[in-house]
Amino acid sequence: MNDTLATGAIRRIAAVLALSVAGAAAADAQTLNAYSIWPENWARPMLQEFEAASGIKVNFLRFSSGEALARVIAEKNNPRVDVLFGGPVETFAAGVKEGVFEPYKPPSFAALPARFREANGQWVAIADDPLVFMTNAKFLKEHGLKAPASWDDLLNPAYRNMLQMADARTSGTAVTRIFSVMEVNGRDEEKGFAYMKKLRQNVQLYTKSGGGGTLPVGLGQAAGGIFFIVDALDTKAKGYDVEISFPREGIGTAAEGIALLKGAKNPDAGRKLIDWATSPAMQSLFAKHKINFVPAHPDVKTEPSLAAVLKDAKIFPIDDAYAQDNRKKFVARWIAEVLP
Amino acid sequence: MPAAARRTVRDPALAIAAAVVAALLAFFVLYPLVALLARVFLADGQLGIGLLLEVLGQPGHRAAFANSLLLATLVGVTGTALGFLFAFTAARAGLTVAWARFLDVATLLPLISPPFTTSISLIFSFGPRGLITHDLLGLKGVTIYGLSGTLAAETLTYFPIAYLTLRPVLSAMGNTLDEMAMSLGGSRRHLFRTVTLPLAVPGLANAFLLLFAASLADFATPLILAGNRFPVLPTEAYLQITGLFDLQGGAVLSFALLVPAVAVFLLQRYWVGRRQYVTVTGKAGPEGTAKGVSPAARAVLVALCLLVAAFILYLYALLIWASVVAAFGANHAFTLDHYRVIFTEGRKAIGDTLVIALLGMPLGGLYGVLVGYIVARGRFAGRQLLELAAMINYALPGTIVGIAYLIAFNDPPVALTGTALIIVACYVFRYSPTGIRATIAQLHQIDRSLEEASESLGAKGGTTFRRIVMPLILPAFFAGLGVVFIRSMTAISATIFLVSIDWTLITVRILENMTELALGPAAAFSVFVIVVVMVVTGLVNALLRRLRAGQEMPVAGMGGG
Repeated sequence: MNDTLATGAIRRIAAVLALSVAGAAAADAQTLNAYSIWPENWARPMLQEFEAASGIKVNFLRFSSGEALARVIAEKNNPRVDVLFGGPVETFAAGVKEGVFEPYKPPSFAALPARFREANGQWVAIADDPLVFMTNAKFLKEHGLKAPASWDDLLNPAYRNMLQMADARTSGTAVTRIFSVMEVNGRDEEKGFAYMKKLRQNVQLYTKSGGGGTLPVGLGQAAGGIFFIVDALDTKAKGYDVEISFPREGIGTAAEGIALLKGAKNPDAGRKLIDWATSPAMQSLFAKHKINFVPAHPDVKTEPSLAAVLKDAKIFPIDDAYAQDNRKKFVARWIAEVLP
Repeated sequence: MPAAARRTVRDPALAIAAAVVAALLAFFVLYPLVALLARVFLADGQLGIGLLLEVLGQPGHRAAFANSLLLATLVGVTGTALGFLFAFTAARAGLTVAWARFLDVATLLPLISPPFTTSISLIFSFGPRGLITHDLLGLKGVTIYGLSGTLAAETLTYFPIAYLTLRPVLSAMGNTLDEMAMSLGGSRRHLFRTVTLPLAVPGLANAFLLLFAASLADFATPLILAGNRFPVLPTEAYLQITGLFDLQGGAVLSFALLVPAVAVFLLQRYWVGRRQYVTVTGKAGPEGTAKGVSPAARAVLVALCLLVAAFILYLYALLIWASVVAAFGANHAFTLDHYRVIFTEGRKAIGDTLVIALLGMPLGGLYGVLVGYIVARGRFAGRQLLELAAMINYALPGTIVGIAYLIAFNDPPVALTGTALIIVACYVFRYSPTGIRATIAQLHQIDRSLEEASESLGAKGGTTFRRIVMPLILPAFFAGLGVVFIRSMTAISATIFLVSIDWTLITVRILENMTELALGPAAAFSVFVIVVVMVVTGLVNALLRRLRAGQEMPVAGMGGG
């Protein structure tokens, strides 16, 4: 334990004691509280850049999207944070339905394509994040397999009990995956769920977090799974021998959103963060921090190596209206029919 | 009871203290529990079991209930067996001091570790590409997720409770009993079957129940290892609440945990607990030579124990290794980067946890001594009830306590969620019973006449307490405070529901790190916690020795974080 930590701890104890005597302290105008759905390794460098650019201090806590959404809904009457930062569009669509957001249109609003913004400004996109198949290269070689190039390839018995992917109860990655399955099955619910039930046979574990399975796949504890590209490329960058592939039927991409919460205690600071996050200023920093999101702002070019990975992939956006209407129903059905 | 009434009037300090404790218990223990029960049994103002039937009617939830009971039973059996092996070896095999010390250290580790540590290491060792199953044994397609993996991890984590429970029982029997039996012509096997085992039965039952309760309450291990085909209640309740924000469904699932937990607690307390005390308090006979175990049996016992102990140490070595390599399994270059990360990015979690632990420590120590004193020395009706109420949050699985707090303290008039206070309160009322029990035990050894002498010389109750009682129960105070500190550093099952943007905890960060792909920081955090806890345990034990307490911190009562 270093000195600053110890003195910091003592200071905080003193602050707690003082607070309990003096009652609630006035909120500091120059701070901002956020729930981040992006994992710390993406959120922290970005929010630090924002702190440096704006002088506003950001406190944030990371949750999987289901958990973050649940918290925001639970705290609706007395929001503890100002901004919901990052996370797939279906989560934000669900939030709109629950009436937790305060509409705000940042300066970049007009420049964004329609799928990257909610018409009234309830949420705005800051990045785009396609799903991919990621498989362990050694596993493929040992089993004489090629990287999966179709949704049906994942049903191969060679993968029995060897796939890991996210749990729809907590993870937006999982919900985006469910919507992808629906789209490639022509939104035929019965067909989609029949496929997912078949896929279940090969699933070793549904993880709490969208990226939860990447490390096991990297280590070879699992053979493969369906992940967001940002997590998959990071696994590869860390040195794990994994292959990234796309199904020829196509796979969904989720816009990553940001939104101001209704009743936020620091709305102005929140708006400043939204201004910055939706602008080229933030999104051109993705490459610097090796974060493989596709920028949402049309003025920012996709980093060349990321663009090369995506070159021949068939990718379609998740429709937020469809997501908004069906999220609850699909998750409930997934829990009842696929999970057990 | 005129005598009692007279005494209460004569001792206003005690009466006030009892009233304060009763009020605190009502607010922080009973009120949340009532709020939880109301959520389960009240629908639209109507009392009924409709919701209970609806939630438990779902096949997945029924399976979770059955799985929880199955897992707890199995952990109780395997953990007790392993604990007995260790205790028997330590007590009867005539180990040298150094080897006995080695077993103690190896068994202490799982008790004071943050959650997940065993699980993380087991995954690395026994998964489809585990160091042991794949690299060493060349097995393919092994899966660790499910009943067997969870059972193994929980057995390794909790068997030390059985060890610590059984060792005094077996030591107390002493070698003299063995010698007598053998001089009467009994064979060793006969002796073991007809003397040792029957005498150990209450201890075994006690250990089984403690392990059953610990496993029933365990949240961290199944979250990592149970997988989706073997859901258990604590994790299902957590996912129900945090993922689906179904507070009511979560409340019902946690209520399903409550029934077996209370049954086990009552059994342990009123049946097994009492029988066992008779055996434990017996003084060990004079040291005889260990004759009850043949040299061959002794070699086997020692070898088995050392094997298990070495395996535990291997799991921890793996954890340390994971904390100092760049990317476990891919890039084994040495790095201290993960430690840099936890002391920079993780600084808030470390700071918050230490603040909460340091706030809870004196409060928990004081509260434990106060309640213990009131229960042992107070003479008013209802003090047994007071003690029982003080034990409730300790006996209940953390998932129930956390959910009850979330329900009770989320909305005005008592909106405490999001504060440090609620986490501190949760720890103090959940982990002080160790201090309470230690205080009661200590006071039962001190004759009342000492205090009466003080009072007859004119000292008031408060003065007597401060000058006479306090020095005598100081060891209990420090033991209680140490346990509250350790649990504040390592617990997760209740407080995962109570963390907020302002106050977060290391254990919750470890879970987040595990579910992201930041294994290095998760391992580094775990190592940090283990080091801090070992240092504090060492300090408290040194202090206890200095106070000549003749006892170490009772870590055995700490299962089920």
